[in-house]
Amino acid sequence: MKIELKNLSHSYDVEVLHDLNFILENYNSVAIIGVSGSGKSTLIRLMSGLEDPTTGELFVDDYSVKDPVYRKKVGFVFQSHNLFPHLTLKRNITLVLEKTRDIEKERAEEIALKYLKLLHLEDQVDKLPRNVSGGQAQRASIARALSIDPEVIFLDEPTSSLDPILTHEVLTAVEELRDLGKQFIFVTHVMSFVKDFADYVIFMDQGNIVEHGVPSILDNPSSEELKQFMHRVR
Amino acid sequence: MSKILSYALAILTIAAFVAIVILRQATDFTLDPFAPYQSLITDGILNTIYVSIISLLGSLVLGFVLYLLSISRFKYFVALDDVFTEIIYGTPLLVLIVVSAFVIGPAFGTYNRNLMGTIAIIIYMTPYMKNVYKSAFSSITGEQYMAMDLFGFTPFQRYRYIIIPQVIRILMPPMMNNFSLIIKGSALLNVLAYGELYYAIRVAQSKTFAFVEGYILMWALYLLITIPLSQLTKYIERRWAL
Repeated sequence: MKIELKNLSHSYDVEVLHDLNFILENYNSVAIIGVSGSGKSTLIRLMSGLEDPTTGELFVDDYSVKDPVYRKKVGFVFQSHNLFPHLTLKRNITLVLEKTRDIEKERAEEIALKYLKLLHLEDQVDKLPRNVSGGQAQRASIARALSIDPEVIFLDEPTSSLDPILTHEVLTAVEELRDLGKQFIFVTHVMSFVKDFADYVIFMDQGNIVEHGVPSILDNPSSEELKQFMHRVR
Repeated sequence: MSKILSYALAILTIAAFVAIVILRQATDFTLDPFAPYQSLITDGILNTIYVSIISLLGSLVLGFVLYLLSISRFKYFVALDDVFTEIIYGTPLLVLIVVSAFVIGPAFGTYNRNLMGTIAIIIYMTPYMKNVYKSAFSSITGEQYMAMDLFGFTPFQRYRYIIIPQVIRILMPPMMNNFSLIIKGSALLNVLAYGELYYAIRVAQSKTFAFVEGYILMWALYLLITIPLSQLTKYIERRWAL
């Protein structure tokens, strides 16, 4: 995977990302970490094309993130599961496949069941999101993201609304996806997951990329900010 | 105690109270004097249902328009909604009906009082219907819209498969409550001599002089219309509850 940020700034009411320039190549699982408000969720939303940057440009695998072709290749898992609440877990997937990917009904069903099974949800396929646990709903949301066969999957703090046991359950399920040949970009506060699953880490603080490198930088931070951050999350 | 038994007992309690009240009247209670007026009263029931359904449909449409004004980018429309809503909230329906039929209608060359009365009910219910839409649409979170964006649903698909199916379920119960208000409110159309249920019974009363019996009959007949409706609402709530 190749990620390129060019003069990237983004503001809501105040500027949350400050003129980022960054190139990263040949990593398949990139973690973005930092304290709340450091701009990491904003960055992942911009990278996925969910939001347009105020100024600057982003490229992922040489696609501009504004390119409609790129948008069809992206999967996104939100902080809360964000399934459509009136549809069963299975229908949440088949609706997307049938209506936005022009896949016929039977095939959509097969794909949905395949990914729900992969996330260990084969017993829950006909339940509504409100009738399953938060962890199961989040796993269904991951199954939905996978079902469109994306090249890149973004996970924006997928476990932030879950208790430690459900967090473990969801992250274990994600680790099992390692062999699918997908690329992952994710934001998380769970450092053990970063060390296990990421092959590259970007540390953000106050809207800047302060430090980045392979996960071993977490054990030997060179910047004062990352040192403090690691001290606090430990 | 089982639920059915509890309800049976509750209904019996109320029935007993009504029976005591009726038995304590100075004269014997009988509905016989109303027998000759059956067709008048049946027409009254049908007219009540008819005008209520028209008012429901009208206020559903106007309520949606008012909802759109309330979320408009143009401050003028938002203000218009605010002022209109405030005025309607403070206006008795009876006043609105009379003013519509005898003042507003003639100002625009319309002397069809029944029409103007029905329009008055529609106008009166519009802000309440707007609130129904408001609460229903606010139940769809921004993140859901984001998910729709992400997967690339077309605007038609969003409404058809995601927004409307969710909104309908939330919209139904308060909408049916409003329908109940409309049915009861339509009784006020009697001031225009529109032949709805209240008016029909008043006519029968004036000929039979059975005033107490007339009001009891009227009460029972309104319940005959509204109770099945509220049961239907509860059924829909149970079936479609989110």
